[in-house]
Amino acid sequence: MNIIEVNNITKDYGNKKGVFDVSFNVRVGEVLGFLGPNGAGKTTTIRQLMGFIKPDRGRVAINGMNCFKEADKIQINLGYLPGEIAFMDDMTGIEFIKFIANMKELKDFSRAEELMKFFELDPRGKMNKMSKGMKQKIGIVCAFMQNPEILILDEPTSGLDPLMQNKFIELILKEKENGKTILMSSHIFEEIEKTCDRAAIIKEGRIVTVEDMEKLKSNKRKTIEVQFDSQETASSFVSIMPNGKLNENKVIVEVKGEMDEFIKKLSRFPVKDLEIKTQSLEEFFMHFYGGEK
Amino acid sequence: MSLTLFKREIKANYKLVLIFIGVLSLYGSMIVAMFDPDMGKSLELMLESMPEVFAAFGMAEIGTTLLTFVVNYLYGFLLIALPSVFIIILSNRLMARYISQGSMAYLLATPNKRKKIAFTQAVFLVISVLCLVIYITVLCIIVGQIMFPGELEIKKFVLVNIGLFGLLVFLSGLCFCSSSIFSDSKFSNGVGAGAIIAFIIIQMLSQVGEKFENLKFLTPLTLFQTNGLIAGDSQAVWAIILLYVIGIILFGTGISIFCKRDLSI
Repeated sequence: MNIIEVNNITKDYGNKKGVFDVSFNVRVGEVLGFLGPNGAGKTTTIRQLMGFIKPDRGRVAINGMNCFKEADKIQINLGYLPGEIAFMDDMTGIEFIKFIANMKELKDFSRAEELMKFFELDPRGKMNKMSKGMKQKIGIVCAFMQNPEILILDEPTSGLDPLMQNKFIELILKEKENGKTILMSSHIFEEIEKTCDRAAIIKEGRIVTVEDMEKLKSNKRKTIEVQFDSQETASSFVSIMPNGKLNENKVIVEVKGEMDEFIKKLSRFPVKDLEIKTQSLEEFFMHFYGGEK
Repeated sequence: MSLTLFKREIKANYKLVLIFIGVLSLYGSMIVAMFDPDMGKSLELMLESMPEVFAAFGMAEIGTTLLTFVVNYLYGFLLIALPSVFIIILSNRLMARYISQGSMAYLLATPNKRKKIAFTQAVFLVISVLCLVIYITVLCIIVGQIMFPGELEIKKFVLVNIGLFGLLVFLSGLCFCSSSIFSDSKFSNGVGAGAIIAFIIIQMLSQVGEKFENLKFLTPLTLFQTNGLIAGDSQAVWAIILLYVIGIILFGTGISIFCKRDLSI
C-alpha cells in the first residue's frame, strides 16, 4: 500500500528550475532515499508533500489525502525535518521544543526526553547561541517526538558530527523496525545505503530512476589505489590487472562487483598501502548512466 | 484560534508593547499637563507665526477645552504616526518574518490549518493595538482628572478613541494583508509603511490650505473626523464604522491569500 504518492507533478519556476513530471511512491513500512545533487528538485518535491506549495500539474497525496488541501490532517501523523534550520531565535531550545509539542497537541513528552538523551542534547540554551549541530538535533527531536507513522526528512544529518550521524542511522533503523514509513533526502550515499530499501534519484528536476538499494549498490564502483614497494611490483600487478592505471609505484583500479577476484589477484603481491576512494555522488551518477550528462 | 501560538506571541512581543506604552505615557501625560488656558496664549502666538505648519499637523485651532486641546494636539498626527510604527513592526513580526526566515515551516508542520495560524496572528495584532488605545485613553483620563478635575468630557473622549481604534484597525488590516502576501520583508514593510506615510502626507497637504483641500479624498485618514466625533456628528460615526468594516475586510483578505499561496519555506 502506498502511503506517499507523488503522481506526475510539475512545478515550473522558469529557467529550467523546478520539478517536471515527477512520480514515485513510498510504501507502508518502507524507507525511501531521495537522492540528487543540489538544486535537483528534492526540496521542491518535499514542499509539495508538506502542502507548502501547490503543483502546477499532477497530484501529491499522503494517506490518500490531498497534500495541500488537507495538510493539517496529514500532519497529525507526520514528522517533518526541514532542510534549512530556521527557528524562532528568541527562545531557548527547550522552550521551542515544548512550544512545538503544544502546537502538535502532544501530551506525552517522554519520547522527546528520550530523544534528547539519545542525542546528548542539552536544550536549555538560547537557540541563537547554539551550534549548527545542536540546532539540527532540536529539529530531529521535533520531527520524531510525537512518534509519527510517517516521516519526511530533508538532509537530516546535515551539521551532525560522525558519531551523531551514526546514532541517527540507528534511530532510523529502529523506526523502520517499528513499521514507520520514511522519506529521506540526502547527499550522503553511505547513509542512504545503510537505511533505505529503495532510492529515488532526481536530477535537474526529473526522476532518473527509482531503484532497489541492492541494485544500486551493485552498480556502485569503488576506486582503489594500491601502493606497492616499487615500480616493478606495480607494473607486474598491472600486467595481470588490465584496467589498472599505473602511476609510478601506485596502481589505481576501478572495481565493480568483482571484489573477490581483485583481492585474490592482489594477494600475490607485497602491498605497502591501500586506499579506497569513496565514490562521490556526481561520479556515481555519471557511472550509473554510463557517463551521460 | 491557536492559544499556544497566541501565548508565544505575547512572550515574544511584550517588550515592544511596553516600549510603545512608555513613549505614549510620556507624550500623553505631557500634553494633558500642558493644558493651561494661559499657555494657550503663547501657543496662539506660535500658531499665528506658522499657520501652515500647525494646520498641516491638524492643529489649526488650539483647543480651549481640555478635550479639544488634547484631541487637537494628539489625535491629528502623533497618535496616528506612533501606533503606525508599532503596527508596521508587529505585523511584519507576526507573518512576513516567519515566512522569510522559514520558521513558518515549523508552525505549519503541525495539525493546524493555515487559516487558524493566520487568524491567531490577526487577533493578536488587533488586541495589541487595542491595548495601546485603551492605555492612552485611561492615561489621559486619569492625568486629566488629577490635574484638571472634572474638565475632561469623558464620554466624548472615549468616542474619539473608539474612532482612533477604528482607524488603527484599518491600518493594521492593511499592514497585515501586506505581510501575508509578500514573503520578502522588504516588500511587506515597504508597502505597508509606504501606504501609511503616503496617507499621512496627503492628509497634511490637504490640511495646509484650501488649494489642496480635495486631497483629503485620497486618504482614509479623512474618515477619522475628531471634530465630528466630539460634536456627536452621525456622519463622523458612520465614517468610523466604515473604517472598521474595511479594516476587517483587509484582515480577511490577508488571511485568505495566505491560505492559498505558495510558501517557499
